[in-house]
Amino acid sequence: MKYINTAKQIIAILLVCLVVGVVIISEHSWPEGARDYLFAHAFEDTGATNTVSAIYLGYRAMDTLGETLVLLVAITGTMAILVNLGKDTIEEEAVHFCLPPEKRAKNALRTHLLEVVSSKLGPIVLLFGFYVMLYGHISPGGGFQGGVIVASSIVFLALGTETKSKLTNTVVLSRIEAIAFLALVLASISGVFFETGFFGNPIKPETDLSANFIILLNIIIGLKVGTSIATMCIAMMGGRHDL
Amino acid sequence: MNILILSLILALGIYALLCKDLLHSIIALSALSMLSALLFTMLRAPDVAITEAAVGAGVTTIIFVWAIRHTQRREEDS
Repeated sequence: MKYINTAKQIIAILLVCLVVGVVIISEHSWPEGARDYLFAHAFEDTGATNTVSAIYLGYRAMDTLGETLVLLVAITGTMAILVNLGKDTIEEEAVHFCLPPEKRAKNALRTHLLEVVSSKLGPIVLLFGFYVMLYGHISPGGGFQGGVIVASSIVFLALGTETKSKLTNTVVLSRIEAIAFLALVLASISGVFFETGFFGNPIKPETDLSANFIILLNIIIGLKVGTSIATMCIAMMGGRHDL
Repeated sequence: MNILILSLILALGIYALLCKDLLHSIIALSALSMLSALLFTMLRAPDVAITEAAVGAGVTTIIFVWAIRHTQRREEDS
């Protein structure tokens, strides 16, 4: 039995060397064609100063739609499992972070340090998330990054504050998510009516306003990603199972 | 400097795999994400760094800790 394990480890190390070694030994230079093209044309084509935003919302916006769909399916599956989990072990297992103290389960770990730090930090992180989301076409960031930061700030607020707010209510969050996905589909077909094709920019290029489509897509994707991840995290912490 | 951070990342990854206490593994993975974000920033990819810091160190840590609370903390010897 020991020999088999040793043989397995040796084979694993050999395979790792096979994969990594090719990259290290190879003297083939990195491809530069796409980089030079994007550096020259990205701003004129899409209106975004940040080239990464220009790629994933301008040239390859189709991939972004696919990624959003993947996230939607993942969240749907998680919520389906969580809702069924809540039926069997409804009150004992779920750790109610979001409830007021008298309704909370006894094993919920909430210290004063956690409450003070997360409730004070939450709004600042929320503001930073919206900054990253709204300025994704100029500075580093974008819809996905800003959305995840917004989601973590909503989790902070759910951990820190005892008062019920609509921001930490999973019903409200999942409605915002659905509306954002509908808006994304509508925005994706809007280019069809302006002769730029599916996911084309409906505003004419080489004008000052052509970055507005990127900003719109960033806001929609940010709201979608942020609310869906926040819904999942709050439902996992035992917030509310009724969807 | 890059080599130092990369070897730290490798060490943290190996520790997260071999450690029997899963909570320690999660903290090691979170530290690994922060180091990766630092490395991405130094390699001038701030977009990737923001994503790595928010997803790797923030959201996945919450999800993993939740999963541990509902299963068990110690890994069993097989």
